[in-house]
Amino acid sequence: MKKSSIIGMIIIAIAIGVIISTYADSSTYGSFKDAQETQKELHVVGKLMKDKDMVYNPQQDANYFSFYMKDNKGKECKVVFTGTKPTDFEKSEQIVLTGQMQDGSFHANKILMKCPSKYNQNQIEITEIKAQAKG
Amino acid sequence: MDIQFTGEHLLPGKLGQFFVILSFGTSLIALFSYYFATTNKDKLDNSWQKIARFAYRLNLLAIIGIGVCLFYIIYNHLFEYHYAWAHSSKTLPVYYIISCFWEGQEGSFWLWTFWQGILGVILTFRAKSWENSVMTVMALSQVFLTSMLLGVEIFGTRIGSSPFILLRDAMDAPIFSRADYLSLIQDGNGLNPLLQNYWMVIHPPTLFLGFASMVVPFAYGVAAVWEKRYADWIKPAMPWTLFAVMILGTGIIMGSFWAYEALNFGGFWAWDPVENASIIPWLTLIAGVHVMIAFKNSGHSYFTALFLVIISFVLVLYASFLTRSGILGETSVHAFTSAGLDIQLLTYLAVFFTIPMVLIIKNWKELPITKKDEDTYSREFWLFIGAIVLVVSCIQIIATTSIPVFNSIFGTQIAPPTNVIQHYNKWQIAFAFTIATISAFSQFLKYKKTDVRKFYISLAVTFVVSLLITGAVVFIVDIYKNVMYILLTWAAIFSILCNAKLLGEAIKGKWKLSGSAVAHIGFALLLVGALVAAANSKIISVNNSNIGFGDEFAKSNNPRENIILYKNEPVKMNKYTVTYLGDSTEGVNIYYQVNYKVIDEEGKVKENFTLTPNAQQNAKLKQIVASPDTKHYLLHDVYTHVSSVPLKEEAHEAHEGHSDDEDYQTPVVHEVSIGDTVRFRGGYILVKSVNRNATIKDIPLTANDVAIGMNLEIKTDKVNTTAEPIFLIKGNTKVDFGKKVDEAGLKLRFSNILPDKDKLELTVYEKPKAERKDWVVMKAIVFPYINLFWGGTIIMVIGFILSIFRRFKEVKTA
Repeated sequence: MKKSSIIGMIIIAIAIGVIISTYADSSTYGSFKDAQETQKELHVVGKLMKDKDMVYNPQQDANYFSFYMKDNKGKECKVVFTGTKPTDFEKSEQIVLTGQMQDGSFHANKILMKCPSKYNQNQIEITEIKAQAKG
Repeated sequence: MDIQFTGEHLLPGKLGQFFVILSFGTSLIALFSYYFATTNKDKLDNSWQKIARFAYRLNLLAIIGIGVCLFYIIYNHLFEYHYAWAHSSKTLPVYYIISCFWEGQEGSFWLWTFWQGILGVILTFRAKSWENSVMTVMALSQVFLTSMLLGVEIFGTRIGSSPFILLRDAMDAPIFSRADYLSLIQDGNGLNPLLQNYWMVIHPPTLFLGFASMVVPFAYGVAAVWEKRYADWIKPAMPWTLFAVMILGTGIIMGSFWAYEALNFGGFWAWDPVENASIIPWLTLIAGVHVMIAFKNSGHSYFTALFLVIISFVLVLYASFLTRSGILGETSVHAFTSAGLDIQLLTYLAVFFTIPMVLIIKNWKELPITKKDEDTYSREFWLFIGAIVLVVSCIQIIATTSIPVFNSIFGTQIAPPTNVIQHYNKWQIAFAFTIATISAFSQFLKYKKTDVRKFYISLAVTFVVSLLITGAVVFIVDIYKNVMYILLTWAAIFSILCNAKLLGEAIKGKWKLSGSAVAHIGFALLLVGALVAAANSKIISVNNSNIGFGDEFAKSNNPRENIILYKNEPVKMNKYTVTYLGDSTEGVNIYYQVNYKVIDEEGKVKENFTLTPNAQQNAKLKQIVASPDTKHYLLHDVYTHVSSVPLKEEAHEAHEGHSDDEDYQTPVVHEVSIGDTVRFRGGYILVKSVNRNATIKDIPLTANDVAIGMNLEIKTDKVNTTAEPIFLIKGNTKVDFGKKVDEAGLKLRFSNILPDKDKLELTVYEKPKAERKDWVVMKAIVFPYINLFWGGTIIMVIGFILSIFRRFKEVKTA
């Protein structure tokens, strides 16, 4: 057999290994309910509950941040994050948490938020402009 | 709309839009003219070529015109234009106006188009016999890029997104029904603070020059198959390929340096999809360069070379699709939001993938593909293997990065790995090890056939030396606990030694031949630097002082990486004594001075430096944008950023119904007996005795009244004092008189007597620790040997430059 065909087969084998590993390492999007049923880490997508308590008191503990989130299925849960409160957190439209359930609260080790950042386009600060228009 | 709007400047926009149309038109003319020039049988007739050249050069002028108009609009704060309103503000310093260009999609497409225009014009002067066919491909690419800026509706679908669109056309808002709406818009949205960094002025242009220049080798490859000049293209394409690799590599590392210097994610590489998208085509083109050299010297690997050069540019387009379509959504923090150009980008991608594939399949039988087997002990064989390993490493990166694409095609719900960095490192360290090893020993191989005995003899010495050095290095840099780390370090050192040996020989004779050796040494250093700096980076701001929420929590989760510092209160952190000295404001930035001292046992100050990490406070949005500051030493960096600071405007909030107790935290009630100790955060209180004959100033006591004092001793590290709160029963009412101990931040109340329990009730009010507003929460990381990473990069770029000179000379002499 030609050497290059042997190499070709090795490559295909590694590539398959890579793809299987990507699958094995990959996580799933789930809800808080799923998180309660598994020990595995997973991603939970939801919205911040702005009317509920949000605790970040750096003078007491600079690495403790907790808040309440409602997942896409409507279930509420307290979320605890070891770290500082992300800036602009109140403005988040959507939050993606990575972590697992522990003693009834969700312990996140990563928080990713989608903000209607003022640096995204097409969000004119209408309220302000309106106020000026009236005055 | 029939309203006559006042105060608008419509000329620059109209002119800009004219240039947009002109650039699209001229690139179309250039495309057709170059196409006919290529297919024209009459080789003496160069009329098509003349038209094409004129059109392409005019195209560049039109693109410059677009840039000038856009600059004029942003510079003069013409907020009637959406682009200026969305990406700039009046307070923006002039030198950052340039950065506004690439904050939006349109501006960054413009940049790409601009570079492609310049590269094309250079080719019209230099490409000689290749000009017509290569430029046809370039012009086709230019047609696609300029169409991204069109912003014209054709048959109901909008083609492109123009940077000259007016704010009132881009958005629906009631104010646009007023003729004088412009006078109501005071300022633009401003530039993202993270982009207000000097690296952001030069990183995007470099990166886009890299992306743009990758079309040149692609064009040569396609032209070669099209014109059936199968083998000739390698030589003229070689310097361009090296140029693209060098510039893109520099651009990527600049981005990495920007992330390290200006972002606060605490590192230089995070395997973010946007980063991956730029490194994938770089790796495939690096692989391409190697097999091109293999083909040039041995005739092997023709198809691999052609394919890699083509797929590299296709992957550039794929990368643009990933970052610009918004498909990355939940997986990346810094992708663009969609501008509705997805279909156009996908068409671009499909066309540039299909054309070369069709050409290759059509001419497959004629391609100079050798049927011979390479010798195992030949350089071309290992160049090929090295390239293949690079490709497989790319497949791994693509597979994971493309999870969101996979999800949207198949409607699945797969989430990326929870620990992304670990996932990538696991694979990439193995690939890096293989590549470094191959780049080491293959230096001793010759093309076609090598004397096996000689090969092993010259290798043996270097091999043994590399083992010895590795042993020393892994202990010095402290990575001997991980086998993969040791292996990678060895491979890199082995590669450095082998290439250094080659370099020694090259320098004696012709220094221009040393390019590859220098580049390989740089690459190996970069690998070691990245490995050590990332694997051994040490967070020194670990918070041990207050474990307010339980030890278990700290163990099972992230380490407590942030620490709070109060002004002028030194905290011991690792070997450093760290003090927060205060802040100063400069423009929108607040700079926090954090002093680091190393004091030895005799009390002598051995190191003393002050870092000023800064944060932009946006009072309106109640957010901070933090940028780190770093102390650079030769062998390590001390990196610091603030993660939370008191928001400035909160300091002056007026309270209504202010009561004394509000200054304290929730009181704690203790039931005590004499001799008990009560703990509080700052120390403890000892219940010494009870005074049954307590007196209260200004209150006369009758015989029926009972006044009891509780004698307390309060101890903290600084304070040692006593207090006597009093409990009074006067007639039927119970009253108590608390005592304040301000030096300990306490208020103590003898609040009740519980006869049935035989206990006394002591209520402790404690002030929150920082009544003072002066604190920062910060994170500090030590990156060891990170200069190897940056230094390796610079050496690698020098290597590329040397190689470009060499290959350029070959083209000239050919």
